[in-house]
Amino acid sequence: MPQNLIRALTPDQADYLRDESRLNGQAEWIAFPETEQQLREILSSCHQAGRPVTVQGARTGIAAAAVPMGGVVLSLTRLNRVRGMKRNAAGHYVLCAEPGVILSRLRKQIEDKHFAVSDWDEPARQVFEQFRRDRAFFFTPDPTEATASLGGMVACNASGARSFRYGPVRRHIQGLRVVLADGQTLDLERGREKADGRTLTLRTEQGGQLRIDLPTYTMPQVKSAAGYYAADGMDAVDLFIGSDGTLGVVSQIDLVLQPLPDLLWGVTCFFGEEEQAWQFTEQVRADSGTELVALEYFDSQALALLARYKASHPAFTRLGLPQRPFGAAITCEFQGEREAQLWDATEHLGRRMEQVGASPEDSWVARTAFDRDRLLFFRHAAPECVNLEIDRNRQQEPSLTKLGTDMSVPDDKLQAVMRLYREDLKASGLPYAIWGHIGANHVHVNLLPRNTGEYETGKGLYRAWANQIIAWGGSVSAEHGIGKLKTDYLALMFGEPGLADMRRVKKTCDPRFLLGRGNLFAPPEGRGSE
Amino acid sequence: MRIVVCVKQVPGTNQVYLDPETRSIIREARHAVLNPYDAFAVAWAAALGKQHGWETLALSMGIPAVDSLLRDALCRGIDRAVLLTDRLFAGADTWATANTLAAAVRKLGGASLILCGKMAIDGDTAQTGPELAECLGYAVVTDVTEIQALSGEQVQVCRNTGDGMQQLQVQLPAVLTVAKDSCETPMPSIAGLARGAGRPLACWSAADLGADPGLIGKNGSPTRVVRTETPPLGKQSRPLAGTVEQQAAALEKIIREIVS
Ligand SMILES: Cc1cc2nc3c(=O)[nH]c(=O)nc-3n(C[C@H](O)[C@H](O)[C@H](O)COP(=O)(O)OP(=O)(O)OC[C@H]3O[C@@H](n4cnc5c(N)ncnc54)[C@H](O)[C@@H]3O)c2cc1C
Repeated sequence: MPQNLIRALTPDQADYLRDESRLNGQAEWIAFPETEQQLREILSSCHQAGRPVTVQGARTGIAAAAVPMGGVVLSLTRLNRVRGMKRNAAGHYVLCAEPGVILSRLRKQIEDKHFAVSDWDEPARQVFEQFRRDRAFFFTPDPTEATASLGGMVACNASGARSFRYGPVRRHIQGLRVVLADGQTLDLERGREKADGRTLTLRTEQGGQLRIDLPTYTMPQVKSAAGYYAADGMDAVDLFIGSDGTLGVVSQIDLVLQPLPDLLWGVTCFFGEEEQAWQFTEQVRADSGTELVALEYFDSQALALLARYKASHPAFTRLGLPQRPFGAAITCEFQGEREAQLWDATEHLGRRMEQVGASPEDSWVARTAFDRDRLLFFRHAAPECVNLEIDRNRQQEPSLTKLGTDMSVPDDKLQAVMRLYREDLKASGLPYAIWGHIGANHVHVNLLPRNTGEYETGKGLYRAWANQIIAWGGSVSAEHGIGKLKTDYLALMFGEPGLADMRRVKKTCDPRFLLGRGNLFAPPEGRGSE
Repeated sequence: MRIVVCVKQVPGTNQVYLDPETRSIIREARHAVLNPYDAFAVAWAAALGKQHGWETLALSMGIPAVDSLLRDALCRGIDRAVLLTDRLFAGADTWATANTLAAAVRKLGGASLILCGKMAIDGDTAQTGPELAECLGYAVVTDVTEIQALSGEQVQVCRNTGDGMQQLQVQLPAVLTVAKDSCETPMPSIAGLARGAGRPLACWSAADLGADPGLIGKNGSPTRVVRTETPPLGKQSRPLAGTVEQQAAALEKIIREIVS
């Protein structure tokens, strides 16, 4: 074992045993590779020794995918350089970045057009020169948690508010470099390595060959980050995107930049009744042009929670809130190149508000960076208040955790699913708050149990909803991934044959089942750490 | 009764470029924003205007693109706006700017109350508001943190003196420069946007003001920027040794050296 690369995990490294799911795991070793070569050495030595490896990015995941269940923690925080820039066939700028790069830092670098280019090769520097003189660009995926790493975002196929317009991470990946469990490497480019039907044949850079029989299931026609991606003639990169750290370790990500529109407006509309907000969503979505980039929802309970924390917690005193209580709110984000276009779109929203019986007086239009930041603060405050609430409940009952759903349904089931949630929740008496990406029929139901009884009730509700949503053709995870916490739901969604298909793929890429053990499905019996 | 609120466009980024020849800030429309302090002046004006039924007017001297900032003020509840734009206004220092704004206020027939931001974040002088009061012969209170009462004759305010709060009653007409976070700055509503779109926004030139050419623009500016320099950013490290007490004493000495 490369002693200097893999070390015993010390007690002061306990943070590496958990992520934002707040589940605690365990591990004996830890490694911080700084180059792909070191990463290969670490993986091949673990492979030989039969040691399980849990890949970690920034540990912001909320499905416990990065929580180790024994073996080696592989932290990619030091594999964090942007290595170059190129253009793809469509002429887009493509950044080549290591997986440990943090999203917020990357955004700033793209915005400032400032990269450490001194060790880039000449072609990359030439492209960078063009980029520097060109207009402004951005990387569109925007998970609310901007300290996520690129590798983690790829592994979870992360999304964000703007995915309504731009789609999840998958849509913005030009290529990947992947180190397999045995240390061999794949260099994958979108459009180059494609499946023949459902069979994907890949050649490693070391000359090995993988013949992968892809799953035969049909993917749900909704926003989804659940299970391995599978489609006829699919791209190899798409198999690794969203694979939850189980098929290989991504060592380089070629990500596509989009032109940044000159104007970005946020409009928050308030409604007396939740139903009005649901109808409004359906209408606005149906008549939206390219200028609508996001549609975000807050239910009455989320608004009430925010009001309560604004009144009681110093961190939220500056939070802007409407003068009187409302039943629901929707934030729409618009982008465009011309003011007139956005004025029209905003006025149109006002008419839609009137049509569902709401008043255009009850809205906020954020057109300046200052006001947009306030809307962002509003949106971030919701999950923060929920976490504080959970922490408070845990003081009474330490075993409690948040129960947060991440499920999506097809367009025509939006009202049905919202009604289902609300009726079940009202009947249960559980405290809760709902918000999220309603434009994609994907809201997060956050259950806030105060005791173990309520926790069990919450779990029962969650399971019942998962069953109904699967029957409607939805997904049990739209953006957070399955990790270790949602494996039961993945089994419900794809059934035993689907799981067997996924296990087969896993076996081809990682024959000893070492990577990301416990993610997606349980490892085969009798293959514990050796 | 009328409230005038003076607003200024400032660069939206912290990358400010100086024209190497004139040594003044290069202003371009893109990435320009409303001076953050002025946002509070606009909010105070809109709220007081609504509360007392007084007319409110937003005033700015700047390039033609500044009309979008004024339109924004109209959407936030200000009744009308005037943009002072002319090549002759260019290159103005705070004194020439105050003279130009004063000429506009006179043309309007005066104001009961004039609100400005405490300072603009590009030049950082905090001079224009007080100079405007001087030009017009109005009373002035700077760094106002609260406007507590307003009547036809006087206004009661609270201001920050740096080491305490001071409450003042001031005869109108008066100029107040307001502090950041001195009030809530509500965002306009969709309905407010529609109203703002319909409100009048006028453009006045130097000729419209009948301003004395010797008092405006570069000609009216007594300030000359002779040289600009970036202060050298120095970093030093000095190891502290000895007991905690000795280290604390050494640290105290260093702090005294720096602040003296
Ligand atoms: C407050 C809050 C809000 C959030 N909002 C959103 C949201 O709006 N949308 C959204 O999609 N997510 C959201 N998330 C979830 C989370 O931020 C994302 O899932 C993120 O993509 C995880 O990135 P990470 O670097 O933290 O990954 P980690 O948590 O470290 O790891 C996640 C998974 O990725 C694997 N992984 C990491 N790096 C690699 C690699 N290089 N190769 C292979 N596998 C790897 C890990 O093994 C693990 O399976 C939110 C989280 C929080 C706490």
